[in-house]
Amino acid sequence: MSEVLFRVDERLIHGQVVVGWGRRLHPDRIVVVSDDLSRQPVEQDIYRTGLPASIEAVFWNFREAIEGLPALLDSGKSIIVLTEDLGTMLRLASAAVTIEEVNVGGLFAGEGRTRLLPYVWFDAEDEQRVRDLEALGIRVVAQDVPTTAPVRLRERVG
Amino acid sequence: MTGRCGVVVAHGRLGEGLLSALTRVAGAQDNLWAVSNDDLDTESLMAEIESLLAEHGAGREGILFSDLEGGSCCQACRRLLGRDSVRAVFYGVNLPLLIEFVFLQGLPFDEFSAALLTKSSGALGVHS
Repeated sequence: MSEVLFRVDERLIHGQVVVGWGRRLHPDRIVVVSDDLSRQPVEQDIYRTGLPASIEAVFWNFREAIEGLPALLDSGKSIIVLTEDLGTMLRLASAAVTIEEVNVGGLFAGEGRTRLLPYVWFDAEDEQRVRDLEALGIRVVAQDVPTTAPVRLRERVG
Repeated sequence: MTGRCGVVVAHGRLGEGLLSALTRVAGAQDNLWAVSNDDLDTESLMAEIESLLAEHGAGREGILFSDLEGGSCCQACRRLLGRDSVRAVFYGVNLPLLIEFVFLQGLPFDEFSAALLTKSSGALGVHS
């Protein structure tokens, strides 16, 4: 069965994604949406290190993502779509990429951010982006790995 | 540089657990420390490792040990490779690897590296 995970995680491809979610979803492809990383092949190689041969990782800029994702989502493949921030995920949703749920897996401490969960720190913009995503009918949940209980973030941001 | 120092960079409490076990079998070490990535992004993790090496590892070759190839710990370590004193990043860290780190300090780097990999990978097996 094909499944799609849209995840916001500053660490992008790492252990929780490859082992935790990867063993659950058996993704054919990981799509990282990042204008910066799409231009950095050396950084991409670091992220690809240790990926099983069965998973292809691609690094798309935003334009490539909105052009390529609809067909990929219709292809029946299992896919993990990763962004470093909620803003990029909101832009994808606003550009008519079909998203039912956004998984927040890692936004960490930084200036202006307060702690909601050990692995979820938000500033005011992040809170607003959760409201905006929910207003588009998209559930936003925090869940670092599949075995932990999901936490609906709309209820945490007021 | 004289001598080597090491940092075990791992998920959860694996690093401190490995060092605790190492102390039991090889005695306390003054050149090996553990860092966890719990609740840290990659940049913060890198800063923690760098700070540890700067504070305690001055003048020594830095060896980083991470647990999972491709995990965030390993990625942070790889980004530090070649920076400051960091000479190598081993991944798949286990107790046999750390034991060899302790006892093969005197070898030139290439021999040291090859011996650590040989000993630690050869230590994996099954009795059934």
